[in-house]
Amino acid sequence: MINEIPIWRIKYLPYNLDQICGREQLRNRLKGIIEKANFPHMLFVGTEGIGKTTIASLFAREFLGKYYDANLKIIHANVPLTEEERAQARSDAYVSTTKIGSIAGKTVTMPAFVQVKVKPFVQVKVMDAPFKILIVKNFDALGKNQQGFRRLMETYGSNCRMILITTKISGVIDPIVSRCQVFLVPQVDLTSFGKLITSIAKKESLILDEKTIEVLYKASGGKISKAIDFLQLSTISNKTVTLNDIYISLQKFQKGIVRSLLLVIFKGDFKKAREISRNILATYKYSAQELFTYLLLELHKLPLSTNVRASVINMIAEADIRAIDGQDNDIQVSNLLSKLCLYSEYL
Amino acid sequence: MAETKAKLPWIEKYRPKSLKDMAIPSAKSSGHKVNLAEELTNFVRNFFIEIKKINEINKEIRNHNRNATEKDQKEEIRLSFEKSAILLEGKPGIGKTSIVYALANDLNMDVIETNASDTRTRDALERKLNETTKSRGIMDFAKESRQKLILIDEVDGIYGTKDRGAVPTILNLIETTQFPIILCSNEFKQGLQSLYQKIKKVEVQPLSKLEAIKIASRVLKNEKISGISSGEIEAIVEKNGGDLRAVINDLQAIAKGSDFPDVVLLNNLHRDSIEEIFSLIRELFQDVKTLKEARNLTDRSDVDYNFLYKWVSENLPSFMHVNSDLANAWENLSLADEIFGRIRKNMYWGLLPYFYDLFAGGVTLSKKESDSRKGFVRIKNPQYFSSTTLNSAEKSLLEKINRKYNIPQDELMQDFLPFLQVLSSSSRKHQKIISDWFELDTKEKKMLKSD
Repeated sequence: MINEIPIWRIKYLPYNLDQICGREQLRNRLKGIIEKANFPHMLFVGTEGIGKTTIASLFAREFLGKYYDANLKIIHANVPLTEEERAQARSDAYVSTTKIGSIAGKTVTMPAFVQVKVKPFVQVKVMDAPFKILIVKNFDALGKNQQGFRRLMETYGSNCRMILITTKISGVIDPIVSRCQVFLVPQVDLTSFGKLITSIAKKESLILDEKTIEVLYKASGGKISKAIDFLQLSTISNKTVTLNDIYISLQKFQKGIVRSLLLVIFKGDFKKAREISRNILATYKYSAQELFTYLLLELHKLPLSTNVRASVINMIAEADIRAIDGQDNDIQVSNLLSKLCLYSEYL
Repeated sequence: MAETKAKLPWIEKYRPKSLKDMAIPSAKSSGHKVNLAEELTNFVRNFFIEIKKINEINKEIRNHNRNATEKDQKEEIRLSFEKSAILLEGKPGIGKTSIVYALANDLNMDVIETNASDTRTRDALERKLNETTKSRGIMDFAKESRQKLILIDEVDGIYGTKDRGAVPTILNLIETTQFPIILCSNEFKQGLQSLYQKIKKVEVQPLSKLEAIKIASRVLKNEKISGISSGEIEAIVEKNGGDLRAVINDLQAIAKGSDFPDVVLLNNLHRDSIEEIFSLIRELFQDVKTLKEARNLTDRSDVDYNFLYKWVSENLPSFMHVNSDLANAWENLSLADEIFGRIRKNMYWGLLPYFYDLFAGGVTLSKKESDSRKGFVRIKNPQYFSSTTLNSAEKSLLEKINRKYNIPQDELMQDFLPFLQVLSSSSRKHQKIISDWFELDTKEKKMLKSD
């Protein structure tokens, strides 16, 4: 007996381009590319969690047909290298003296990320398919290492095409953008979202009305996997999904901890606030920047006067800027917390 | 002669000349106790007997090769790794280097030493050692020419880009050597595993306390120093835990200049570096009144500033309790951090003075007089956590989940895991289904429980 997949977001993952929810225009363009069997480097831009990677990998799979296994690689630019990979990069950088050429016996400096994760893949010749496909997620996280891609995209362009994925196009350097065809991945619209949810509801024999779907759409911000998570949480007790169920599951799921951090800050308790912030960073693996963003988001939900809100945003912005140059994020976060704690005394 | 000897550091002065007047530390080789002096002497003697045989055989082979066709060429034979090199492993200062020198002295040999102070890149090592190891030189025809002993000290100090290629060079050296090689190392190192696998390892144990005291008293007697009680000698020996070199160094430090030991110095010897930081932080927050004092304090300490400001950051809230003080202090500290980042990034070393003043004086002087709480404050170690790296439990969970569902680590931790936690906490049944489906073990199941 085949075990049924207990998690709906995995169960209802699309397995080809046709199954992708909505976004017909983009899908048609990609299908056209598959027919022509050729495409330039591509850059997918769109907000977080709307399915850029899913679309890109399904496209690559369909493009490569049955040869996708050896010719497709997905790498995450924001995942730090492990210690072994770093060691690997160091040893790879040394060119043996037995090799001929002016660089023999020297150390070639290359960004470790490119050295370990990208080069070995793009250098190996393509098998059976027209070319290999490399998908790089969160490309903007590479920062100045993006420069390394400029040459790679040209040198190995005939062997390997790249699909770069990013949430913010401003984070990608111009030379890279100019080498790519840019695709804007839009959010799924309400009608196709509704269709998808209804079809899931049919399969799981759920009962839910239009209004609920609309709330689900808004609550998840158009992110399908999140919406499906909410839906599953709401149906734990019974098969009829009401608005109330959605709200309850929303509450369970919300990152209450960031809000509680803000509340502690407004009480002026610095020590506690520092403890909570460290706890958040450790459990959710946020970078300091991400924590600042979530604080900002949460701040908009709190009932504050315009003046207060503006000054708090000012402080968060200041801390964020310092964290860019600073060495120790912990210090920058603590700085923000102490300022906010002081400010709360005047409220 | 006597004068030059007086200037020598005591550790050199009292380095044993012969195995006979040395306290031989006990040693273990592959689990068995061995006599280190005997072991080493036998090793060197056997080496020369074997290498002589091998050289003769090789000579014949070479002769044969010269006349033979390409097909009949024979390979020259080589001495096995175990017979040409031996590794002494033990804590620092227990006499590994000394025993090698004493042995060489006894056998009338020269020691060629390379240690961590030399750069040990492939080139440097080859230059220094290969000449001596491969060829026996013109002088070898003269019978009196002294044999050589090669000592590669502080093998575990080989690492990093500076010493690139050293391990293969050493292996190659061991293969082709004409002289016995002794390697010394303090600890096991992963990077040197290829070396460890091939050669014989002897673990050297520290000297017993009794023996160390005996040696220390002998040194003091020789230097005509009285006034250090046996209890104090014992304290010094205890503190250094079998490190004889450190014991003798300490003795010299407290006896320096006069016949009477400096009691203050003796007390200072017990202070180690962590305690130094503790007292520094305390002084910085509790005693410093002016910017100049703060600057003096940080200048005087040996603690790396790069490290010190993290201690300041960690302990700041323990010393300040008023929000306005805290805000001022953090303002200065975060600016210091920003400056430090810019210095590192762009090499603006001219900014360094600001960094110093901001993180030490700037921070501690933010404290107002009114809020001086009395009492003992515990100093905390800085928490070095990197928010982006996973711990082992998280790693194994990620691996298990990735078998079924491809998700990067940040999405897992921020999005998917919280969802799984809520879902599995809703009922036992769900928890069982989820953990069964992902094939989680008990440790990973625990992570599904939200806190």
